[in-house]
Amino acid sequence: MSTLVMTVREVLRYRGKEGQLAWIGHRLAGLGTLLFFVIHVIDTSWVYFWPAGYEHAIALYRSRPFLIGELFLVLAVIYHGVNGLRVALMDWKPRLWARQRELTLAAFVLTAVLYAPAFVIMMGHIINAWSATGVAAR
Amino acid sequence: MEITLRIRRYNPEVDEKPYWAEYTLENVERTDRVLDLLHRVKWEIDGTLSFRRSCAHGVCGSDAMRINGMNLLACKALVKDFVKGAKGRIQVEPILGLPVIKDLIVDMDTFFEHYRTVMPYFINDEEPPERERLQSPEERAIFDESTKCILCAACTTSCPSFWANETYLGPAAIVQAHRFIFDSRDQAASERLAILSEENGVWRCRTIYNCTMACPREIPITQLIAEVKKEIGRR
Repeated sequence: MSTLVMTVREVLRYRGKEGQLAWIGHRLAGLGTLLFFVIHVIDTSWVYFWPAGYEHAIALYRSRPFLIGELFLVLAVIYHGVNGLRVALMDWKPRLWARQRELTLAAFVLTAVLYAPAFVIMMGHIINAWSATGVAAR
Repeated sequence: MEITLRIRRYNPEVDEKPYWAEYTLENVERTDRVLDLLHRVKWEIDGTLSFRRSCAHGVCGSDAMRINGMNLLACKALVKDFVKGAKGRIQVEPILGLPVIKDLIVDMDTFFEHYRTVMPYFINDEEPPERERLQSPEERAIFDESTKCILCAACTTSCPSFWANETYLGPAAIVQAHRFIFDSRDQAASERLAILSEENGVWRCRTIYNCTMACPREIPITQLIAEVKKEIGRR
């Protein structure tokens, strides 16, 4: 446990460059997505084991915090995928290390470009959902 | 110029835990090395300050330490790299992931244990030729970069994977393995690759590039690690 605490603390203290930043983001995105998957598998299983709980979970997903959370979920999935492809590319073509800074920045930009339409569509849905009677109050 | 040197100090015989000590140095030249500042503290202010150094010219690799948050050799780090004005502050602490013996000195046993694990020596049981074993310039160029390592540990101790798990062989050991794996005269590449493909071998590398950035010899370490990964996959 102390090693984990030390590693997390020092990852924040060590002045790594873009590669370290990309890796921190990759880990956070991966762990966040995994957390969502675990929760989602559990609540979906409730359809069979605990139908009332499942209904409650679905209602919860329509609440404000979860709708906003979905924005982060989509960002995490897109970033994890794009950055994962970058890492695979760097390992496949080792001499690309000389361009690692540019490629890391390209991964950030590509993530933003892919995320932008999803953000607009989901944000529209959130605003509409909040405007609708009965949903806004949840 | 005036420099405040902030040093992470720890004497296990006296101190319960590490602490930061500050020393103000005047008449510092912009071209002074951080090692020069450490010398001034030790020789003029506090003789108990402990750190390693030998050649003091970036060859022996004794004085790797974390300077202003990044692993560097104190003998290659110039004051002007950190301070632009007439006054400034430089922070020095031991490299991370290895036990601190005293102040800036760490126990390198784990590091050298990993180094020995990859069999960093020439292996060829064939009868030696009458003269030297020949190799073309092209064959030599394949592992040229990995011959430059000075075992300073700046790379290994900049790696988050090593911080999290000291059983990970680390970048330096993999670079040493690379030097022999791709040597056309060596015959133990398969054995080294078998060691490196184990749980604590190359697959713990997350392609973060901290090691490449930290290397004082400018070895493209992440590239070399990726070449070893590919070689494992190829076989």
